[in-house]
Amino acid sequence: MESTAMTQTAFNDRPVSKVLVLDNSPADSDVIKQFCSDNDLIGLKVRKDALLAVLRTNIDLGGVLYSENYGDTAEETALIAAQIHAARPELPIVIRRNGTATLDDFPDAQRRPYCAAYVSSDMSVLRGIIDQYIFSLIYPNALVRGIAELTESVLASQFPAWQITRDTPHIVRDRLIFGEVFSLIPLESHWCRGYMMLQAQEKPLLGLLARSSPSIDRDTDFRAVNSLLGELTNLIWGSFKNRYIGDASISAVGTIQVPLVVNQQHRYISFGTDNPQLCFRYKLTEGASDRCFTIVQRFVFNLNWSPEDFQEIAPESTGLISSGELELF
Amino acid sequence: MARILIVDDSSTVRGEVESFLKSNGLDVATAVDGKDGLAKLKADPGIRLVVADVNMPNMDGLTMVEKIRSELGNTSVNLIMLTTESSPAMKERGKAAGVKGWIVKPFKGTAVLETFKKLAA
Repeated sequence: MESTAMTQTAFNDRPVSKVLVLDNSPADSDVIKQFCSDNDLIGLKVRKDALLAVLRTNIDLGGVLYSENYGDTAEETALIAAQIHAARPELPIVIRRNGTATLDDFPDAQRRPYCAAYVSSDMSVLRGIIDQYIFSLIYPNALVRGIAELTESVLASQFPAWQITRDTPHIVRDRLIFGEVFSLIPLESHWCRGYMMLQAQEKPLLGLLARSSPSIDRDTDFRAVNSLLGELTNLIWGSFKNRYIGDASISAVGTIQVPLVVNQQHRYISFGTDNPQLCFRYKLTEGASDRCFTIVQRFVFNLNWSPEDFQEIAPESTGLISSGELELF
Repeated sequence: MARILIVDDSSTVRGEVESFLKSNGLDVATAVDGKDGLAKLKADPGIRLVVADVNMPNMDGLTMVEKIRSELGNTSVNLIMLTTESSPAMKERGKAAGVKGWIVKPFKGTAVLETFKKLAA
């Protein structure tokens, strides 16, 4: 898989989104590439024979830019679209048409996989579609930057000998779970209600714990990983709460809940909404060794999202105590 | 030897704090939540300092310290909260229950060791 736009390594607080670009037209590829660059999209090209494997394993996609010439025949194009939709029904598929930006001439069965159509001669249509289907929730830059800062601070406190790097935060539409272990904790305030989720692979974390504590058996002590991820979650949650929620009365928060559904076989989690999720990916590397592990952090504001009311709690100007210090009363 | 009771639902935190304090010569017991903490304190009169998390299942840390005073009638044990919480309202509730100090996680042992030793003496 190759990227039509470089994944940014320098931190940018404006979220991007990864989209699969399934379009073989040389004439249109430059237009699409430029569009991605101009609209905070990272275009990922994939070989046709690797498409379903990529869909099964790529956990942070925002959508698919498709083309009505992608298959060798119209039937194959329709078949591939149906396969994508079956594999990842949560991903919006936008089809580039050669004539007009409409799905009206498709029979119902053929139309079903697509959310919208565009033509390369009028990319403003695609801009509107991307806003509607991928960037439909606004995440304030101050929030995005703050989450990354406080999370990195927590990770640095827990893994002082490890170097932390992070991708540019991105918007995802998929519901796939990264790794084998994840935590969920509610976030509730007058401006947001939902969850923070941390996801990780068990093996590298267990290896890390086994090296630091000989009493841990890397074959059986998976609970040590659960505990570590739980404490990371707790620390990040506490920092989030102290920075963005404060003493706001929980009584003002709604009581509506929706079921969360986890399908273990498909590593799929649903929060009962199509809302896009805010996603961060942190990579921790140990010193000069090649040991590393990744933590994926997602924010799912499925119960309430009112970014117009977002505010950061002003720290008290006096009496500030650093974390870890004892404040005596 | 006077004992310190660590009350935290996270085995990671319990292990980290216990290991640090023991390696510095302190006698440590642990409890997994507020209910367990109350029971351990009731059963062990040698405990001089309780270091407790706030957010725990079954019984939270602030309820536990209130019950230490009101239900156990123990007004002599020293109480410290070790938590991710830092809201003024929670601290006020802790103060009212007789909490002596507040530490915002993560735990940095060297910053608090001498005070812990004094409070556990």
